[in-house]
Amino acid sequence: MKEVIYEVKGVSKRYGSVVALDGASLKLHAGEVVGLVGDNGAGKSTLVKVLSGAHMPDGGQIELDGKQVSWSSPREALDAGIETLYQDSGLAPHLTVSKNVFLGREITKRGLLGKLGFLDSKAMEEKAHSELERVGIAVPASNRSVSQLSGGQRQAVAIGRAVAWARKVIILDEPTNHLGARQAGEVLQVIKEAKKKGLGVIFISHTLPHVLEVTDRIVVLRLGKVVRDAPTSEFTGDTLVGTITGTIQTIPEEDA
Amino acid sequence: MSSSQQPNLRLERFKAVAGNQNSILLSVLIALAIVFTLAEPKFFSVATAGNILTDWGSIVLLAAGQTLVIISGGIDLSVGGTLAISGVTSAWVMSTVLGFDITTSGSDAYPPLLVGGLVAIGTGLLVGLINAILITKLRIVPFVATLSTMGATLGFAIIISNGMPIGGPNDFSLISPINPTWMPLSWAVIGVIIVVTAVGLFLHKSRFGLHTYAIGSNSFAARAAGINVERHLTKVYALAGALAGLAGFYVYLRLGAGSPSSGVMRELDAIAAVVIGGASLMGGIGRMMGTIIGALILFTVQSGLIMAGVAPDWKKVVVAVLIAAAVAAQTLRPQNRAR
Ligand SMILES: Nc1ncnc2c1ncn2[C@@H]1O[C@H](COP(=O)(O)OP(=O)(O)OP(=O)(O)O)[C@@H](O)[C@H]1O
Ligand SMILES: [Mg+2]
Repeated sequence: MKEVIYEVKGVSKRYGSVVALDGASLKLHAGEVVGLVGDNGAGKSTLVKVLSGAHMPDGGQIELDGKQVSWSSPREALDAGIETLYQDSGLAPHLTVSKNVFLGREITKRGLLGKLGFLDSKAMEEKAHSELERVGIAVPASNRSVSQLSGGQRQAVAIGRAVAWARKVIILDEPTNHLGARQAGEVLQVIKEAKKKGLGVIFISHTLPHVLEVTDRIVVLRLGKVVRDAPTSEFTGDTLVGTITGTIQTIPEEDA
Repeated sequence: MSSSQQPNLRLERFKAVAGNQNSILLSVLIALAIVFTLAEPKFFSVATAGNILTDWGSIVLLAAGQTLVIISGGIDLSVGGTLAISGVTSAWVMSTVLGFDITTSGSDAYPPLLVGGLVAIGTGLLVGLINAILITKLRIVPFVATLSTMGATLGFAIIISNGMPIGGPNDFSLISPINPTWMPLSWAVIGVIIVVTAVGLFLHKSRFGLHTYAIGSNSFAARAAGINVERHLTKVYALAGALAGLAGFYVYLRLGAGSPSSGVMRELDAIAAVVIGGASLMGGIGRMMGTIIGALILFTVQSGLIMAGVAPDWKKVVVAVLIAAAVAAQTLRPQNRAR
């Protein structure tokens, strides 16, 4: 097995009195796809936000390449090569596709104007288009504002952006939402490509056949706790459903 | 590959859309000028244009800052108060601290005026930073935060000045039309045009502007993309404050005095100009050119009504009606209704 690149140990997160994460742990190896599943409200998106630096956990540890880290903002996680597709609203609807792709990493003009922060919009448009094409995501003209796209097209842009920028880890929170069967298939393909390149992928979905098809390992969350963490080969569709809903009893593993 | 042709096509489309919005506003402006000229032929004159442009100069500075704030998804109700406190503080420094009184005029007034201008901008910047702290650190919503600073600035303006205008050095030729027979612009208005153009370029062409739109469009997405939202909003409110400070100095030039009452209700004019110009109070939408023409429309209507014999007390009513009409026109526009 390859080395562990990203790991959380016993993280907890509360929203007021709601305990969203209760000592959850998860390991991700290079070139591995981990499926993260659980019922609505199980804490998947909260874990995503902890991993992406959007939320500070109340407790627990995060390790990147074996070194302890603590993200105080998404910027730090992005700079470390961790890209995230959020479940909802990861894009700015009033901006064009290309501006969304380059948001936070704009290309500026050369010389003095560039020093003043003036943008090279043309370069960004051309590159956005070719980058999205490169990762195998078909998107319409990149000069359209995102609010003018269909839900599926928006999703495609958000996925394309995450995959195009990722250098180490990609976290995809329900990426096949809003997608038709063919586009969902494209996304699974994109995940496999990323894996081949040695990236670690965390894939969240309620479509269990997709999870079974594309992942190496599945982590099941229930009420903020990890109730099962096992190779995908140990699950069938039925046992996975049973584990998620709790009809199949699991012995919660204590931290080693 | 067809991509070599695409940029041109895109440019055309962009021009069509952006041009459309501005040409509607310009048509409204021209139509108003024609109507008022028909009602009162004297309206069509260099003198009227000069008056409108002089009024426009102070408000468009407030409105330029307000445009940034509104695009970022906020609002700044304190710009009128900031204008007043900046003008008064500037006058107080020039007269009481530096010792130049109302008798200093012409080019003798330039050195103290330079200091006064910097003091006004600095005062505005300070108010803007206070707004930013209230909003980003204490997490007070912009409406309430800037409502508080509006009250505080208007109050301090009266305290500093004992409620009376403070006279000081001035060169009125700076704020008078360059040539009364053919050139309605004054040097002060030309200065304002340069400043507002520069702010507009930053808004539409720079990273700073892009981030302002992104935050107003979806602040979670902006943060997730690595933007430091708090720090950016601090810059936005600070810039709006500095521009309001500059507006305070402009009004000082106009009056030859820092007047504590000069800021009352000016935020309403500024917001009106921005909204008439097509910006959305929900954030993420707006153009500087729209604001510039919006402010011109505002003062063309006001001065036209006065020249047509309508009592000045109606002014505020007209501004209020214009705001309501502009917001209604915006929400009824098909592409916005769908959201
Ligand atoms: N911003 C928030 N404020 C308060 N409570 C929240 C917030 N976000 C999530 N929660 C709560 O935390 C718990 C976990 O939510 P989370 O979004 O992580 O679930 P999820 O597993 O992603 O669910 P889904 O499958 O529906 O996306 C839920 O009980 C939810 O109500
Ligand atoms: Mg979720």
